[in-house]
Amino acid sequence: MNLNVQALGAQALNILNKQKAVVAIAIIFIVMIFPDTNFYTAGNFSNLLEAVSTNAIIAFGVTLAVICKGCDLSVGSVMVMAGIIAIMLLNSGMNMALAIILAILSGSVVGFINGFLIVHQKSEAFIITLGMGMLVQGIALLLSNARHVSASDPNFQRIANDNWFGIPNIAAFMIVFGVLVFLLLRFTSFGRNLYALGGDYEVAEHSGINVLRTKWLAFVLTGTFAAVAGVLAASRFNTGIPIAGVDIPLMVNCGVVIGGTSFAGGVGGVPQSFIGIFVIFLLRNAMSMIGIHPNVQMLVLGIMIVAIISLDCFAIKRKKEAV
Amino acid sequence: MTKQLTQERSKFVDFLLEYLVLFVIVGLVIVTAIVEPAFLSQRNFTNLMRQFGALSFVALGMTFIIMGGFIDLSVPGMISIIAMVTLSLVDIIGEIPAMMIGLLLGTMLGTLNGSLLVNVGANTQAKALFITFGMSQIYRALALILTGGFSMNWGTLFAHPMPVTRALGSGMWGPLSISFWLFIFFLVVLYIFQSKTFLGRAITYTGGNLTAAELGGIPTKRIVIFIYALGGFMVAVGSIVLFSRVSVTVPAIGDFFERDAIMAVVIGGTSLLGGKGSVIRTFMGVALVILMSNCMNLLGVQTHVQEVVRGIILVLAIWLDHRRHARG
Amino acid sequence: MNNNDVILSVQNVNKSFPGVRALSDASITVRKGTVHAVVGENGAGKSTLMKILSGVYTKDSGTVVFDGETIEHTTPIQSIRRGLSIIYQEFNLVNTLTVGENIFLGRYSEMKGMRNMHKQARTLLDSIGSTIDTYRLVSDLSAAEKQMVEISKALSFNSKLIIMDEPSSSLTADELTQLFTLINDLRSKGVTIIYISHKLDEIFELCDIVTIVRDGQVIDTKPIDHLTRGEMIAKMIGREIENEFPSRPLVTYNKVVMEVKTINTRKLKDISFELKKGEILGFVGLVGAGRTEIVRAIYGADKAGELKILMNGSPVKIRKPRDGKHAGIGLLPEDRKLEGLVLPFSVQSNIVMSSLENISKFGFINSSKEKEIAERQIKSLSIKTPSPHARVKTLSGGNQQKCIMGRWLEINPDILILDEPTRGIDVGTKYEIYLLIKTLVENGSSVIMISSELPEVLAMSNRVLTICEGRISGEFNPEVDSAHDIMDAAIG
Repeated sequence: MNLNVQALGAQALNILNKQKAVVAIAIIFIVMIFPDTNFYTAGNFSNLLEAVSTNAIIAFGVTLAVICKGCDLSVGSVMVMAGIIAIMLLNSGMNMALAIILAILSGSVVGFINGFLIVHQKSEAFIITLGMGMLVQGIALLLSNARHVSASDPNFQRIANDNWFGIPNIAAFMIVFGVLVFLLLRFTSFGRNLYALGGDYEVAEHSGINVLRTKWLAFVLTGTFAAVAGVLAASRFNTGIPIAGVDIPLMVNCGVVIGGTSFAGGVGGVPQSFIGIFVIFLLRNAMSMIGIHPNVQMLVLGIMIVAIISLDCFAIKRKKEAV
Repeated sequence: MTKQLTQERSKFVDFLLEYLVLFVIVGLVIVTAIVEPAFLSQRNFTNLMRQFGALSFVALGMTFIIMGGFIDLSVPGMISIIAMVTLSLVDIIGEIPAMMIGLLLGTMLGTLNGSLLVNVGANTQAKALFITFGMSQIYRALALILTGGFSMNWGTLFAHPMPVTRALGSGMWGPLSISFWLFIFFLVVLYIFQSKTFLGRAITYTGGNLTAAELGGIPTKRIVIFIYALGGFMVAVGSIVLFSRVSVTVPAIGDFFERDAIMAVVIGGTSLLGGKGSVIRTFMGVALVILMSNCMNLLGVQTHVQEVVRGIILVLAIWLDHRRHARG
Repeated sequence: MNNNDVILSVQNVNKSFPGVRALSDASITVRKGTVHAVVGENGAGKSTLMKILSGVYTKDSGTVVFDGETIEHTTPIQSIRRGLSIIYQEFNLVNTLTVGENIFLGRYSEMKGMRNMHKQARTLLDSIGSTIDTYRLVSDLSAAEKQMVEISKALSFNSKLIIMDEPSSSLTADELTQLFTLINDLRSKGVTIIYISHKLDEIFELCDIVTIVRDGQVIDTKPIDHLTRGEMIAKMIGREIENEFPSRPLVTYNKVVMEVKTINTRKLKDISFELKKGEILGFVGLVGAGRTEIVRAIYGADKAGELKILMNGSPVKIRKPRDGKHAGIGLLPEDRKLEGLVLPFSVQSNIVMSSLENISKFGFINSSKEKEIAERQIKSLSIKTPSPHARVKTLSGGNQQKCIMGRWLEINPDILILDEPTRGIDVGTKYEIYLLIKTLVENGSSVIMISSELPEVLAMSNRVLTICEGRISGEFNPEVDSAHDIMDAAIG
């Protein structure tokens, strides 16, 4: 009997460990029933969804990089740069669709260079993307002359801010891109190969998978998605802010890991990443609702990041020692 | 014959790569001096010297962390909290004791970072990167909570006179500024530490091959904690120098210092792969970064173009580092 | 012999690695529909040969003909598609993926969807009588189940030849019976199996023909019923021992320097033994039997659940390598490059690593002493290096190993543990290392020596412990007991 309880306990702990983020979300929802706030209102959820959207789109891209045992810290700068490029091209009189496509392609180019340096030149992903982030940040500053830029065409704002049967457009975009990446990972050989090479690079290589091309493509897509998010963010606020993207890359990479996509590679996916990002924003939102000071919010988030990444490291360490 | 020739050439390339930063500095000085003679003026020299501020101290500390195979992104938060705490204490316990507390705080926070990493088994640079990023958020939040997020202006606000801070900020001693003397002092001490002491050498072993160092009886865990503690101490020094220079401290005072310090260290030629590097190299790296912006300013290059150039140089430096490693 | 009958023909294949000749003029002919055993000691060249066949290594010279096709250059995937699969001891599976995906790894585009893939995987697994759920993660499978997945994977390529490297090493008796049934079944369907194993009983039970490999050479190929167990062991180890080794040092002390009371870990069970002063104790066992784990636990490199050690009669606590070092133990690790050397550093730095602390005063290194140490060790070990400042990675394997030896000789530990001290080292340097070991014990140190080369352990050791499946399975005196008996106890 006693043993049974213990076993049950161990099992519960195991599930808890795997579904940390889901548990955290559940706790937040339950706790928020008690204080008298606007938390449970349609308006708040709509706000929350809008705030999550751009970051989630970046996270979908970053998921690809993390699955193949990399990471991408240039996404914040890419996002900012793409927003600025879109607005500036638009203001120069270019057709809107073309301007947006070019802006998104700028992200693909950064991703392509990242991929080249990481996959082909065997540079360490996190440090080279940190450097690329700086470079791209410089480009964004250069393009905008360090000023906020706004689109003169009011239609540009509508891309993100209109509603579509009650769903904010930007959230609809997030869902579309989420489904897209989900399908890509689930049902294409690119996706399956990505998991394989993240799980075991050599086995994947020996199985005839073109590891170089697959991993390279993953980084191109990561850059592309960051640019998509950048265009949407620019449309949402109708500004391109050249230094807005400072904390985003680390936050998003952390969110992806919080959701269960481990640095050990080979696991994770779109739902997990969404949950990881969602929990960060939900926590922020809930804390604001209760009236917790932004400074304390920052502290709580910092502690959460450290705790969850530490747990991930600790789990890998324990696994190694057990062998 | 051809083989020998290729070998010779390969040696030459190695040599070039090894001292690249030096060549670039010399080239930069010559070119700028020709194009813009004001570069060599006494005033510009004083100006250059003043630039060796907080960044150079932070970079010296970061050198050991990177040499040990790790990285520290918690610098902005640490600078912020140290500056805030130190300045808050000046009116209560006096200037010098407050600074001592600041230095102690930096060392303690560094120790905390290192112990955390060691104990959760974050034994790679990537893991250290994320955890120290989180720590930076925590430190900054604490700084904000403790001070209520207000900026502090010691130049006008405080009743207590602050002679040491003032001297550190703008004082000269002989031909050089006092903060530059301080920098030279730390450079020499840390150079001796790095090349002559057991601990200094143990750091390079740890960065060169953690497993081999551990099996060879080197206390790698303590070494990792130590490099973070040393890094924290140097951040504290940098923090004090920083607020002494700008006279107003704001919570965002330390932003981008981690980035610039890593850049200076890597450009100097200390390998991000660990095990290889020197504070002298970091000195050259800082010098190059400062010279570069000085030259570009003199030559009238737009500030944002400068950002791009710095970014390109950083990416090139990282890439070169990996290439050098691949060459053996 | 009818040529159509031959599935694989290897003629005069050579392969060298820096400092070692791994294969010399190896020739094997494998006939269709047989189970062909390849036996030999660890490091005899079996793996090298198999890796050449599978395309992981490229041969230096010689010819390989598979299924009537001469193969010059191949990659792992090409040889699998040609119908030659190899199942490694450590398995070539991606742990984070499901069983079905592993079977069809890299072939998703050929599969018409995930569901169909799992369906085909199911059919394959059913055909070999396995009930593993194709949606399970490989990381959750037992070794036997992983083997089934590997075999299914091989069959999915319509393999004509399957090479199994130590397939039985982690199977229970029941699982082994199942494996044998399966192999017999495959044979009757015309699939050829090359079965690599140390376990001679299995080979007699299962195989048709056996090839014995030793020192990179093929010694003999014979039908199994033309050989006795004794003859096979003799051929596996039988080489002249006399001139290869220095004369065995004698134990002149009668003092126990270390007493291991118990070591218990997940892998090791109730390890206990004594080590005398001035003694060379040899550990004999198969790779993965737990030899390395024992010494790593003693030195503090691995965490042990239970560890009780007495040094010179008093208990010591060893939790990390530094404790081991302070207790007077030194370890020359198994993997020279990953665990022993700091490759980008100089010879001098690598030699002085462990003694640096002792020549420091108030934390400052005495650099003239440092130089002295490096020069002394380079000279006394005759390390061939252009200068003490040359990078250690430019040295040959033997000289690299001597640098690590020098590191420990300098601090003169009571016990020096040598894990595979001569792996990948040329014959001349091997002899020098034997002499060093001899000098060491004559000066009063004790040595624990692990080696996969049986003759080496037998010639050098005063006493031999055999390790089998995490336990000590026997104690022998190599001067009296036969190599045959020792091998027998080690194989288990």
